Parts: sequence; structure tokens; C-alpha cells
Amino acid sequence: MDLEQLRKTAAEVVAKDDVKYLIGWKKGTYGYRVSPVFIENEADTEDLIFSPLCTANLVTYLTLVEKPPLPRGQKPDTRKVALMVKGCDSRAVAQILVEKGIEREQIIVIGCPCPGVIDVNLLVAKYPEVAENTELKWSGEDFVLIRGGEEIPVKREEVLAEKCRLCRYPNPVVSDIMIGEPVKPWQTEEDTGVSELEGKNVAERWEYWEEQFARCIRCYSCRNVCPLCYCEDCILDRLNPTWINRAVNFSENTAFHIARAFHLAGRCVECGECERVCPVKIPLGRLNRKLAREVRDNYGFEPGLDPDGKPFQASYKPDDPEDFIL
Amino acid sequence: MTDKPRIGLYVCHCGINISATVDVDAVAKYAQNLPNVHVARTYSYMCSEPGQALIKKDIREQGLNRVIVASCSPRMHEKTFRKAVQEEGLNPYFLEIANIREQCSWVHEDMTEGTAKAKKLVASAVAKVRLLEPLESTEVDAEPAALIIGAGIAGIQAALDIADAGFKVYLVEKSPSIGGRMAQLDKTFPTLDCSACILTPKMVDCASHPNIELLTYAKVEEVDGFVGNFTIKVRKKARYVDVDKCTGCGECAKACRLANRITSEFDEGMGKRSAIYMPFPQAVPAKYTIDPENCLMLTRGKCGKGPKCEEACQAGAINFEQQDEIVEFKVGAIIVATGFDTFDASRKPEYGYSNYPNVITGMEMERLVSSSGPTGGDIKVFNGEEEIVPKEIAFIKCVGSRDASVGNEYCSRVCCMYTAKQAHLLREKIPDAKIRVYYIDVRAFGKGYEEFYDRVRRENVRYIRGNPSEIFKRGKKLVVKVEDTLTATPLEDEVDMVVLAVGLEPRADMREVMDLLRLSQSGDKFFMEAHPKLRPVDTATDGVFLAGCCQGPKDIPDTVAQAKGAAASAMVPLASGKVTINAQVATVNEATCRGCGYCVSVCPYSAIELVTVNRFGHELEVARVNEALCKGCGSCSSVCLSDSIQPKSFRDRQILPQIAALGGTR
Amino acid sequence: MSEDFEPNIVAFLCNWCSYAGADLAGTSRIHYPANIKVIRVMCSGRVNPLYVMNALQQGADGVLVSGCHPGDCHYMEGNYYARRRLGIFKDLLEFVGVDPRRFHMSWVSASEGHKWKEVVEKTVEDVRAAGPFEGFRRRQIDW
Repeated sequence: MDLEQLRKTAAEVVAKDDVKYLIGWKKGTYGYRVSPVFIENEADTEDLIFSPLCTANLVTYLTLVEKPPLPRGQKPDTRKVALMVKGCDSRAVAQILVEKGIEREQIIVIGCPCPGVIDVNLLVAKYPEVAENTELKWSGEDFVLIRGGEEIPVKREEVLAEKCRLCRYPNPVVSDIMIGEPVKPWQTEEDTGVSELEGKNVAERWEYWEEQFARCIRCYSCRNVCPLCYCEDCILDRLNPTWINRAVNFSENTAFHIARAFHLAGRCVECGECERVCPVKIPLGRLNRKLAREVRDNYGFEPGLDPDGKPFQASYKPDDPEDFIL
Repeated sequence: MTDKPRIGLYVCHCGINISATVDVDAVAKYAQNLPNVHVARTYSYMCSEPGQALIKKDIREQGLNRVIVASCSPRMHEKTFRKAVQEEGLNPYFLEIANIREQCSWVHEDMTEGTAKAKKLVASAVAKVRLLEPLESTEVDAEPAALIIGAGIAGIQAALDIADAGFKVYLVEKSPSIGGRMAQLDKTFPTLDCSACILTPKMVDCASHPNIELLTYAKVEEVDGFVGNFTIKVRKKARYVDVDKCTGCGECAKACRLANRITSEFDEGMGKRSAIYMPFPQAVPAKYTIDPENCLMLTRGKCGKGPKCEEACQAGAINFEQQDEIVEFKVGAIIVATGFDTFDASRKPEYGYSNYPNVITGMEMERLVSSSGPTGGDIKVFNGEEEIVPKEIAFIKCVGSRDASVGNEYCSRVCCMYTAKQAHLLREKIPDAKIRVYYIDVRAFGKGYEEFYDRVRRENVRYIRGNPSEIFKRGKKLVVKVEDTLTATPLEDEVDMVVLAVGLEPRADMREVMDLLRLSQSGDKFFMEAHPKLRPVDTATDGVFLAGCCQGPKDIPDTVAQAKGAAASAMVPLASGKVTINAQVATVNEATCRGCGYCVSVCPYSAIELVTVNRFGHELEVARVNEALCKGCGSCSSVCLSDSIQPKSFRDRQILPQIAALGGTR
Repeated sequence: MSEDFEPNIVAFLCNWCSYAGADLAGTSRIHYPANIKVIRVMCSGRVNPLYVMNALQQGADGVLVSGCHPGDCHYMEGNYYARRRLGIFKDLLEFVGVDPRRFHMSWVSASEGHKWKEVVEKTVEDVRAAGPFEGFRRRQIDW
């Protein structure tokens, strides 16, 4: 990726009168950290980066924005928001467009073809010491770690994020401006996380998830980071009716995760954010990916590809599977 | 909900229908301790006047504001009790029924089990009734017109009754003439009235009635809306004849190049007609129609040097450029009178209907014996070698009826009698014929039927109990192989002609009507009525009624009676001029709605739309329900991720407590 | 699993077909196990799959959802949506380790009183075999 081109394009975008800000990535305060940045003026575009450390999906900031009551007579700010998206992120944009979460004209999508990002935990485990100005770059199929002036080659398979190993859409499916050339999709790996569980019997699976869900602290990070969980008033928080009790225990946690996964069935774009942010490392992606697989294989449906498409749960085919019906 | 719920709970004994397997006193005692239950009583028949009075008295004296009746299915008496509580000033939707009869006492044998289950069902009702909301029914004007689909005797009779009462009727018939099956019949049992003689005056009345608009050679294509306010689209197929000009003189048919070369449907394939035709001489309207499947002009674009019909028509009525026409109108009620198909006898290959020309069906017999039929009423059949007057004739009954092997377990109700009638008519035409009737049972249940059957037997028609296994040819004769089951004698009966008394079946194209009107089929695949005994002409779709054989096999008197019943029912909304809109409609919480439009996608009635609202200065879209269109199915609510759209009386907050009550956690 | 385990099953029935079919079973005095307790909804399309989860959490050992046959829905297509949503939900439950025998779906028409009995018997038999579902019960807190 040509950073100069990115920054130049970004500067042109934010210079426009009808653009409120641009959401992108910038280098974080320490170590391998990368943080989201909201850029309102041209000068700040110098901060923008796009590297294998840009794992976070920025699409969530499109819908998180609050709409506080306006003083009488004040017009809402209807300027556009520009944002940088990777392939997976762009699918979230497409899905939000399907469900009218945002209007197409309100956003400027800057597509960033993505050769794959890393799982920071794997990188930290392998290269724990970080110096000032530590950087990670793409280098051919692999990565190169730049630390204290030294360039250390890092093998792709050692640090690649799980979602990227399974990624089939590295190039943005929705974009107004594309930075750089499309990347060639790679051979995806078997989703062993899902397959292994499928191989177990129900009792073993229950045991597996029992252990996982029992650890959940119900911080709701998974929900809050998800670009597609953007109901202002989530039913899982609601008291009347109470779907899920406030209590943090196995029963309520399990119900919470079943409900969350179900609400994402046919909507999840497999960006992996829920799992990435989970403080107790529950492999939530497996739940979503399992349903995505069923939706794909049995219903021939894949969300987040066509902004004008039908929503999975609000559509049907007369010949949908019904082998489970008595 | 401002007032604290004070629930009155009434457990019905239903004589011993409930109390035989449910300890009603134990249920009432248990319910007494459920939250907000103020009184719990039992009574022998809650639906009776004193039963209802009990509820009313308690509402008055005990200040009840919610009522539960634990009794039969809500499909039986929900309305009764709603009305009762309403009469005492309570909102009718503050009522819940616990179904402890159809779904408890009648299906369980053990008293302990039945009682335990009844308690749970009552607890579930208590959980829900506390959280119900008062609903107001709204009324809208009903269109004072009716649509009748099918113009056989049922449709005709219903049309005349409704039109005579002063309402507009649109009578839609698929074929070029009204009249239906009855027009094909020769005489009618048991009185031997000439079918045409009693039918054609009614047909003419239809045509001349100022309130009836005939739409023949037409098909209903779209039905929108709801009781009182249906919008109908009908396709009038091109006849290629200008009906305003056509005088019905018939010169065109005589001139047609295909004259007497096309199989006549009306004569059951035994007679011939032209490509331009009137189905039968008394057709209404008495207008000609060009059959687009056979007409040379329409199939090949060319008819000799020019179409002869056009040449022959003095009135200049032929118009090959005519197009289908779509007619749109509004009605308040619909009667379905689409009739039946006769059983296709080739589905019983053992009877050789497809192989032997002298094996004919009852319907063919009607045409054969009719003086307006293809032979002018002479009984002549081709036995494979020559045309003969049959002297030995066998009738076989229950062909395609009472026969699980062809999927029809029901009795067609007319075959016994039309067989007797045809035997009688044959006896008149061929006095020396030997006539034998093979039967399983003889069902002569109507007024004058048994007497007629006796008369026919006295006319030397032999009834032999046995269901023939096979018909085959031997020389010039047909052999009916059968066992006389009364004497346990195997027989081989040699005859000149066999008449198969084919049964009645649901129409092959009934699916289209089902989809159009959202009707269901009963087990016999005929249209299903709302209740087999108490609502025999109603359907599950409000404002749509059934008449005639589309609901099940019937003879003419029953068909006419049902048609009159359907007409009377259909006139209820028309006469009152008002229909009540379902109050249990969906409602949107605009504060939480995300405007995603999922509900809009799933609503089968297009009752939901997205509208722009201003929420504290921000413009955003939310869903809004058109209550007149909403049927309250609730599909919208289970697709809503934020639970912002909910059907009243079936809200999540009303159903989840039911789940908890049945689950047992509360 | 104890021998005398009687499963508690919550069923959601559409008003027009399955509830009417269950009523018909009653009118025809067709006997079936008492384990099943019905909640009437207007359409199987009304059955939010989370009801199934909620029922299992609130004390049911199994859940049955029944609606009109495809093509026969009183509301034209509610059962098609139900089939898709509950089908995928069943996949989810199974993946989480809920015995698939605990959740069934069926089409029972208003004329199928006998089929209703068969569906109930099959469901009860399956849930009985799966055993009590204590693991997922909502914990009750006495204040």
C-alpha cells in the first residue's frame, strides 16, 4: 500500500465541505498498538497508516455515533463520513446498507485491499520486546517487523489472524475510492475451530461451551464492538420483557451468547472483532462462523456482498431446507 | 395498565366433558393462590346463560378487571365470553381462555395428568391476562357488493339471492357460459325434473338482473384487501367476438372450416363443435366464442383465403384483434362456488375405460341420454366393431369414491342416486334391456331418495352387491368380473355397455383459488370450512364463503341450500355496511425502531411502511403499521431485532410470562 | 436418567392450522401424552426463535413449534419465514450442544388430528430420551 497515495486521497476527501471527518487508523501510543483516528483537517492525514496491524473494523463507528437531542431550530450535521475499510470491513458496510442502518450517500468508503492482518497476541508471544518506532509491514506473502532500525522477517502463518486465514473477500466489496491494486484472494484454510467442534457429539459440545460461557463476565464488549450490533436499545439489556436476567451466571451467559449469535445469523460478515476484543478469550467467532457456514451451504446465502440484497432472516425461498421438520 | 389486575377465574365442568378427566375443583383451588387471582370458581356450563351471569355478577360485585375462562377451545367460545365481559363494561380483550377441553380433558385419560396439565394451562393464562392491554375495535365501511367465483347452480343461486336483496353481484365464470355441471345433466333425481328446464330460467334471471354483472370467460387474477373491502382484478379473456354485436345466430359456427371437428367439452368429448362455438344452445350469454387453441386464424394466423366466420357474420362481430381485458372492482364479500371435477376413470385401469369405447362414465351417460346430447337421446354405443343399442348394461358404483387406493376415502353422495336415475331412464328408452347395478352400499338418504330407489328396483333393475375386480372383452361383449358378496358367488357378467358411476373430486385448478384467497383444504382435499358443523359455509378468511361442491360432494338440493346459506352470510357485512377491523394488530415502538425495514419485507399484506420522523431534531425512518391492512399475524415482530414491532395481545412481554408459567420457573 | 422422568414440553402452535388440528384431535378424542402444553400464537411466523431458548431456560425440557404446511399459511408465507429462522436456530442450538431431540418443528394442518398425535408422541419420546435439561435452567433468586 502506498501511504502517500492514501494520505493524499484522504486530504482531498476531508478538504471537501460536505465531509465531517474521515475514520482511519493511526499508530497507537505504544508497542504494536494501532488506534482509530477521526480526521477533520488535511494536516492530520499525515497520521494515517495502513499496515498488518490495522486489525480493527472501523465500521462500528459509523453507527455508534450518538444523536443527542438538538436545540430547537438547530439543524443536524448531515455531512458525510469517510472511512477506511478492508475487505471484511466493507462487507459490514454492505450489510448495514441492506438494513438501512445508514444511507449510501452519507458515507465515503475508502477501500483498502488487504493482504491479511495479524493477530496481535501471536505477534506479542513471538516478539515480546518492543522498541520505539516498532512497525510491521507486508513483504511479499509475509511480513517484516521493523524494530530499532532492524528488519526481522516474520512468516505469514506464524502471526496471521484467524479471520484472515479463512478470508475469501480480501478486496472491498463496497467502495468509492480504492487505494492501491486489488490483492489476489488466497487459498483459504479449513475452519478447524468450527469443524473440530462439529466433530464432537452434542454432550461434548455442551461441555465445551459450558466451560467457555461460564467464564463470560458479560462486559458486552463483543456486542459493542460488532459493527452489526447497533440497536440503540438492545433487547438483551431490556427489562420489559426481560429476555436475559442481569445476573452473571452460566444460564444467563449462555442465553446471551445464543441470542447474540442468532441475531447475527445471516448478518455476520466474519470480521472477527467480537472474538478479538473478548477479555476472557471466548472463541465467539466459532459460533458466528458456524452459522455463516450453515447459511452459505444450506441456504445459498452470504451476507454483506450486495448492498441492494435481501436480508437473510426477512426473506425465504420456497425450497429452503426442511429436513428437520417432523 | 393503571389498575392492579383483579382476576376472576372460572373453570368449566362442561357437563362431564372436562370434569371426567380434570378435577375442576382442584384447578380452581390451585388458581386461587396464583398472583392477582381474586376469585376462582367452577360451574357446570360456563357458556350457558347462568354461567355468563356468574362472571358478570363477579365483575360487578367483586370489581374484577380481568377474566379467565378455563373451558373449551378459544376457537369455540372466545367471542361469547368477550361479549359477556364487554356487557359488564370490561374491555373485551381483558379475557383469556385456557383450553382445558380440546387440548386437555378430551385427549388425556388419567385424572392426575389431566388435572396437572389443566393447572399449568390456567397458570399460563393467569400469567398472560395480567399483562393484556385494552384494545378498541374500529369499524370501516363495507362495500355493498359481492364477488361470486363460479357460475354453476351454487354461484347462480347465491348471485340471485344477493342481487334480489339489493346488492351488486359480480358473477365470474371461467367458461363462456354460466350453468356449470347442472346444465350438462339430463334429468334430476328423484323427481325427474328436466335439469335444463329448472336451471335455464335462473340463468336467464342472472343475465337480466340489474344487480348482476356477468363476467363469463373470465378469471379472477388478484384479490387484495380484507372483509368489506376486497379489491378484485378479473381478466376477461378475449372471445374474439364482440358480444355487443353478436346476435347468437350461429351462422359463424356453421361456416367455420372446423365445423363439427372439435371435441365438445360440454358433451363430455362425445359430440363435436366448431372452433367458434356456443357451449350449448341455452348458453347465457347466448354469444359465440372463438376457441384460441383450435381456431386456424389464431393458431396459424391464416384460415383459407379468409376466416369464414367473419364472412358469415352479418353483424360484423368477429374481431381477431380483440385483447384480454382487465376489470377492477371492489366488493365486501366473496363466495367461492368453483365446483368439482369428476373422477378420471382411467385411474382405475382395471375397468378399461381407456380401452373400450362402450365403457363410459356417468357424466357421459348424462349426455348420451339427453335429447340435446350428441345422439339426440338415442342410446347407442360403439362396441369396438359396430354401433349397437345396448341390451345388457352394467352400472358400477363407487368408482373413485370410498377408495383409498386412489386417495379418495369419502363418499361422493350423488353416484348412488344418479345411477338409479340413469337406470330408470335407460329402462324408459330400452324397455327390454337387462340392467344390473354393482354396488358396495346403496345410500339413498335424501327426501324421496329411498322411495325412488325402490321404484327403480321394481322396474326390474337388478342390484348386485359386489365391487367388480376387472372388465375385459370377450367377443363382442364386455365381461364384468365380480363376486356377488351376498351369495359369495363369483360372476362373469357379459354386457354391451358399462357405466362407471364416477365420483366427485376437488378441481384440479383449486390451488389457484386457494392461493388467491388463502383457503385451506380439508382431509378430502376439498375446501375447508371454518367449522364442520357450526360454520359450514364460512372459511378461515373473513368475508370469504363457500357454496356447493367445492366444499365437498353434494347433490343439487344441498348445493342450493348451501348457496343460500353462503349468500345470507355474505350479506351480513353488506347489509350492515360496516366491518369490524381486527383489534389485535401490530404496533411499533418508534423510540427503539431502527428503521431497518425487515418487518416491511416480511409483511404479507404490505401493511407496514417506513416513514420519516423527527426525533429530537434528527430525521430518521421508522416503521408504521396501517391497522386496516394488518391481520395481526406477528411475523414482523419475530424478525425485528430490537423487538420494536409487536402484535397487540401477542407481545413478547405477554408471551414470555406464559413460557415461564408452563416451564415452571414462576 | 430416572425411569419416571416426565418431560415438560412447551409447544407454540399457529392458530389456523396446528392449533385447530390439536383441537380436532380433542374433538375426535384422540389420546396423546399430557407432557405437551400449548401456547397459541396467530402464526408460526410469530414464533421468535428466542422463545425456544427462553422456554428451555425457563424449565422446559423440550420445545415444539408447529404451523401450517408450506403453501397453506393463513397469512400466506409466515411459515416459510418460521422455517428459515427456526431451521438456522436449530443448527445453532445443536452447535452449542443442545440435544437436537429437544427441539422439533412440524407442519400440522387443521384436518390432521392424527398427525398432531403422532407429532406429540414423537416429540415426547425424543425429549424423554434426551432426559431432563437441568444444565441450562434459569437460576431463581430468592430475595
